[in-house]
Formats: sequence, structure tokens, C-alpha cells
Amino acid sequence: MKLSELWRISRTIYKETSFQSIFSLRSGGLLPQRTNSDIKRLVRNAELNTMISKIIMSVFIAVFGIMVFFPFGLRSSNLQVSEEMTVVGTVSAFLAVLMFLIVIMGLQVSTSFFSSKAVDFLSTLPLSKRDVSTVALLCFLRIFDLPLLLAVAGFPVAYVFFRHSVLGGLAALLSIGVTEVFALALTTGLAKFFYARIAGSSGRSKWKAFLRLVLMLVWILPSFGAYIVINFWMEIIQFFASFTQTIFALSYVIVVLYPFSYGFLVSYATFIHGFSYISLAFAVVSSLSYFVFAVYLVKWVGGTIRSIGAGGVFAASKEMVKDTLIQPLSPWLGIIRKDLRIASRAPSYASIFLLPAIQTVILVFSFSWSGELGLAGTLGFLTGMSFMTVLIPPTLFSIEGLASAYTRSLPLKKRTLILSKTFLATLTYILSLLVIFITASFLEKNSFPILTFGAVHILAVASANMLEILLLAEKFWKEGFALGNIFARLSTYILILIPGMIIIFMPIFAAIVAALFYQNLVLQVFFVVGCLEFLSIAAITLYMNR
Amino acid sequence: MEQIAVQVSDLVVAYGSFVAVDHLSFLVRTGEIYGMLGPNGAGKSSTIKVLVGVLEPRSGSVEIFDTPISDEVAAKSQIGYVPEEVALLDSLTPREFLEFTSSIRKLERSATNTRLERLTTAFELKSYFDTPIAALSMGNKQKVAIIAALLHEPRLLVLDEPLIGLDARSSRILKELVTHHARKGGAVIFSTHIMEVAEKLCTRVGIINKGKIVGEGTVDDLRKLVKGAQGSLEDIFLKVTEQEAGMDEIIRGLEEE
Repeated sequence: MKLSELWRISRTIYKETSFQSIFSLRSGGLLPQRTNSDIKRLVRNAELNTMISKIIMSVFIAVFGIMVFFPFGLRSSNLQVSEEMTVVGTVSAFLAVLMFLIVIMGLQVSTSFFSSKAVDFLSTLPLSKRDVSTVALLCFLRIFDLPLLLAVAGFPVAYVFFRHSVLGGLAALLSIGVTEVFALALTTGLAKFFYARIAGSSGRSKWKAFLRLVLMLVWILPSFGAYIVINFWMEIIQFFASFTQTIFALSYVIVVLYPFSYGFLVSYATFIHGFSYISLAFAVVSSLSYFVFAVYLVKWVGGTIRSIGAGGVFAASKEMVKDTLIQPLSPWLGIIRKDLRIASRAPSYASIFLLPAIQTVILVFSFSWSGELGLAGTLGFLTGMSFMTVLIPPTLFSIEGLASAYTRSLPLKKRTLILSKTFLATLTYILSLLVIFITASFLEKNSFPILTFGAVHILAVASANMLEILLLAEKFWKEGFALGNIFARLSTYILILIPGMIIIFMPIFAAIVAALFYQNLVLQVFFVVGCLEFLSIAAITLYMNR
Repeated sequence: MEQIAVQVSDLVVAYGSFVAVDHLSFLVRTGEIYGMLGPNGAGKSSTIKVLVGVLEPRSGSVEIFDTPISDEVAAKSQIGYVPEEVALLDSLTPREFLEFTSSIRKLERSATNTRLERLTTAFELKSYFDTPIAALSMGNKQKVAIIAALLHEPRLLVLDEPLIGLDARSSRILKELVTHHARKGGAVIFSTHIMEVAEKLCTRVGIINKGKIVGEGTVDDLRKLVKGAQGSLEDIFLKVTEQEAGMDEIIRGLEEE
């Protein structure tokens, strides 16, 4: 079949995947309750939301791409970095950023793509295996099309424009193409690994549970990597540039390593002179080798996507089970245990769920570098930590959409659901606070302000979480729908997050105002505002769910 | 003593302008296995979803053992439900899934475990008890849903196409359990497209077409009511749902192709 026809077929499959990933309909089973026009609207929304997500991702890539041409941080730093080495550093950093951004996006959507089993349907049609494989690959590419196109077309053009080097632009094109293939292959490999070792693995023993946790952490490492890159991009660029500058003797080794090899290649192609022929030869050979590897990976990705899409990775096996004992808990603890179990097996949930912990680690790094935190530092610290926490409720609530046609038949009080999810989301904040306490004690820093304000801020964090979950619960009870993955429904997520962020920020704002006029009353004002927020939202929750 | 288990009065379920269930009323008493029959899109599953609290009706009332369905927790606590589309929490194992449902239902540990042991043995699910539900076959998923519906010994069983995907042994066990449940004084609502099963298993049937009950009673009652029905429930069903007309010509047309 012609590629154009396969491209057309892939559009239908892609639409279906977007739709399923947003509304968790695959297992929710509530679709027949919607009217025709309502469903059409949902389909349109699904397309619009995936487009918005792609645009947001493209903006991220564009922003990082621009930094390659304006490395302000490097100029302002004390490092004496040559222009050639600056290009090596910035291009290498951009390739790393691009790869991590695509992988983190893939992390969220690939599980929806594979679990939708939309490709299964194609296998039953009179299409050759090769055609099915191609459609699966095209469909997978559609998930990333805009960011991929922007990077592969925009960056080389921008390079030629800013650096006035056509050869450099061509080298950039090659490096971006290879990076994109590597990113897609990594996403696919991780998805296969996830299905084979995490989602499909059985067993109740503690060892198996521990193994699943370790595998899960390995699975979500790229997202952490991306997050760290986003937080420390300037430091990374500085590191890359200074590393290649100061340890020049090691450049022969570095030059063969991805992504440096392409950094060197682009730099050679731009400046031509200033490098030895040996290092040039190393860069060319290694870059070509990576290109050949990328060509092989394209084939591998196509085949793997088809096999995963067709459910080839799952296989239930019978095993000896010692007993069938179960341990019922109270309803709210039962919900928490269920949520934790699901989150521990679904990267799209786990990665968001672990975000506050990662944010805390990053903050702790900054904490260890800086001196004692003043009031402004403490409030800034808390703002970052608590903003990360309010990302959790929508993700946590989307779990309810997975089997809503069944779970809604259970005798579950809305209030219990709201309180259990609020507790779990708030607990992640408390754990972050504990990490800070332990680190501060270890570093012998004065942790009193951050702990006092942090503890008081639990009230506002709990209020924000409760409000978000209340809004989501009302929507869920009314419509029976829960939002799917965060990347597919970014705009709705933002609308839910805004009230939560306002609640989080109000005590901080009040404390800043108090600091300007009544410095002795800052903590008291902070506490009173948090208390008022908590009492009002708890009262609303209890009143609405009597 | 016979008691009203389910009372549905003047129920209307609508999706936008489309009315799926149109002023439907029926009663199910304890000791009864009430067969809910109807062609595709007749409104059976919509009615069942209202009964189990998954769907809100536009109007009308539903009472489960005198408890209005609006009193969600009290009403749902008395129901065991097997949905038409087995949509469970796929990443959990059956053990974890049942731990979740029994937590929500506040079940007592030791009695639940004793009952669970019997049910998993009966439905041969033990070997898959720690396997993620996503990796189970459709039949085994159905067994998990059935066990979850029976575990809390509900007074009312609502089974929407429960035999789909089940092997012969498990189907037989489920039918025996359903009969036993009714004999013990429970009530059952059993939706199926398999007329032979409904005829043998159900004490009373309600035939739904276009959102309305078009025939209700025992199979014998219906035979008396429907003129020209040759005897089987399938004949009666096709007659009352007006699906019989022109069927012979359609079949002949297909055979001639």
C-alpha cells in the first residue's frame, strides 16, 4: 500500500488513541451514555487538547533551541570558553534537552498509545504485516509530529541564520534527526520494558514487589533527567562548555560520545579551522556510526510498536498461589492503597506523583549551595514545593476514570474519596518537608524557618488539594468522566490547577505583605490565612457532601 | 416472607434528546430471578446502570429493599453487580482488586477470606490470583467481576450478560449460585441475550423494547399473552419486540447470495 494511504489510515488510529488517552474510556465503559453531539464534541476536544500539548512542547524546544545562539550565562560567567567550544557545549546540551523532552512526553502518551490497542484492530484487516507496522510507526510519530518537525526543520534553519554556516546547518540537521530517532527508540524501548517487566509481571512476594519498584524507578529516570535539565539548563551548558574546554586532552574520548560527537561535528562544520584533523575524523566517524545505528533503530521502533500494539508483550501465566487471603482496610485507606498500587505500576501516574520529591531534591541541592535561608528564601522555597504538590490531585483523580462504570457501583461516599485523595496528595508535601528537615540537620543549617513555615503551610496545601479534588469529584459524579493523562489534557489541567495555586499563594502573599508592615506578625498572619482557607474549604466539602 | 427487592417506577433515562428508557416500571421480589431481555439498544443496560447507581435517571424512582437509590451508600451496599463490559482496574491483580472492593464495602476479614477461598476454588481463579488483571483472558476477568459481586453476600444480584466469556464449568457454577441465591431469599436481575438460559433460569422475565416493557411474566404467562408464538421464549421475544416480521425473507435473501 502507498505511504500516503498508510498516512491517512494512521490519522484515524491516532484520533482514536488521543480520544482514549484523554477520557480513559477504554475501560471506563461509560461512553454509551453520551449523546451523539456530545461525543463529537469530546472527539474535537481531544484533538484540540493534543494539539495544545504539542504546541506547549514545541515552545519548550524552541526556548531551549534559542539558548544555543544566545548563551548569556556563559558570557556572564568567569569561564574563558572559546567560541568553538561554546558551540560544542550548547549544541550538545540542546540535543540532550531535546531527547529528554521527547522522552518525557513519550512517557506520558506511549502507555496510552499501547494500552489503547488501536493497532490490534488493524491486524485483523487485509493489510500486510509491513503495512500494519508502518501505520503503527506513523501513528506513533503523529504523537510527536509538531515538536519533531519544529526541531528538525527549525533548528538547522535558525543555525544557518544566526551562525551564517550552511555546512553547520546541515550538520545540525543530521544531529537533530539522529537525536529524534534515539528519543523515539528510548521511549519505545522503555514502553516495551514497562509492559514486559512491570505491568505484566505478577507475584506477591516482597522481593517481586521491590523489583517492580526498582524497575519502575528505572523506567521513569528519563523524566527525572528532563526535569533536572529544565531546572539546571544553565549549569548544564556551563558544565558541557567548561568540561570540553578544561579537559581538552579528553576531547578525543568525548568526541566519540553522543551527544558531544554531534556538538563537535556542528562546531567543525561551522568554524572549519581550529580543530585537529584527528579529532575531526573521530567526530565524523562516530557521527556516521550513530546515524547508521539510528537507521537500524527506525526499523526496530516500527517492529516493536507493532508488536506492543498488537498485545504481543502480555502473557498471563499460571502460577502457584499460596493462599487467597485478602486484607480489607477502612474505605479511605483502601482507596489510598489502591491509588499507590496503581501509581506504582503506571509511569504516567508515578512520574507526576514523584515530582514533589524530585523538586525537593533539587531544592535541597540549592539549599546546600546557598547560605542560611531568610524569610524571602523560605517563602520562595515553599512556593516551589507546594506548587509541585498541587499538580498531584488531577493525576490522582484520573485513576478514578479507569474503571468508572464499575467503581461507581460501589458504596463509596464522595466525601471519603475527597478526603483520602487530599490526604495522599498532602502526604507527599509532608514527606518533602521531612526530606528538607533531614538534609538541613545533616548540613547543620538552621532549618527552623523552613520547618515552621512549611508545617503551617500544610493547611494551605491541604486546602488547595481538597479544592481541586472537590472540583474534579463534582465533574466526575456529574459526567462520569475522569481526565486521562496530563499531556493529553493540559488545558483542563491548568484550569483545575489555577484555584489550587491561588490557595497556595494566598498565605505566602499575606506573609509578604505582613513582612512589609508588621514584621513580628508574619508567622501569625501566615497561620491565620492558612487556617481560614482550610476551614472554609473543609466546610464547603462537608456541606456539599452531607 | 416475600419482600419487594427492587421497585422501579416511571423511570426515564435520556441522553440529550434521545430517550433510552421511557417511563419504565417493574418490580422484583425476593426469591425471584428476573430475566431482563431486549434487543440491542433497547434500554436494558441503561436501566441496570441506574439500578446500581452508575447512571442518574432523568426522572422516576428506584428503590432497593425500600431504600431509594439516591441514598447511594445504603442502596449500593445491598447490591452485587457484574457489568456488561468488564472494566476493572487493569493494573491491579485480582487479590488487590478484591482488597479494594472489600475495603470500600467494609467487609470483615475472616468471614470474607473464608468465602473468597470457596469462590476462587469454584471458579478456578487461584492460579491467576496474583497476575495483573490486564494480562487475564476475558473469561478470567469476568470471573474476577463475579467474585467481587458475590463476596459481600448481597441481597440483590444484578448481572448484566454475566455468562459472556465464561467456560462451561464456570457458567454452570454461576447458574447454580444464582438459583441458590434466589432460593435463600435473595433477588436476582439477570440480563441476557441467550433465550435458552433465560427460559431455564429465570422465574419471571421482562422484555424491554425501545425503552418500554412490552411483555412481562413467567414464560407460561407470556405464551398465553402472545398469540402465534410457537412456544419457545425466543419466539415470544421476537414477536413482542416486532423483530420477527420479514425475518424469513431476510434470511432467504442472504442464503441466495
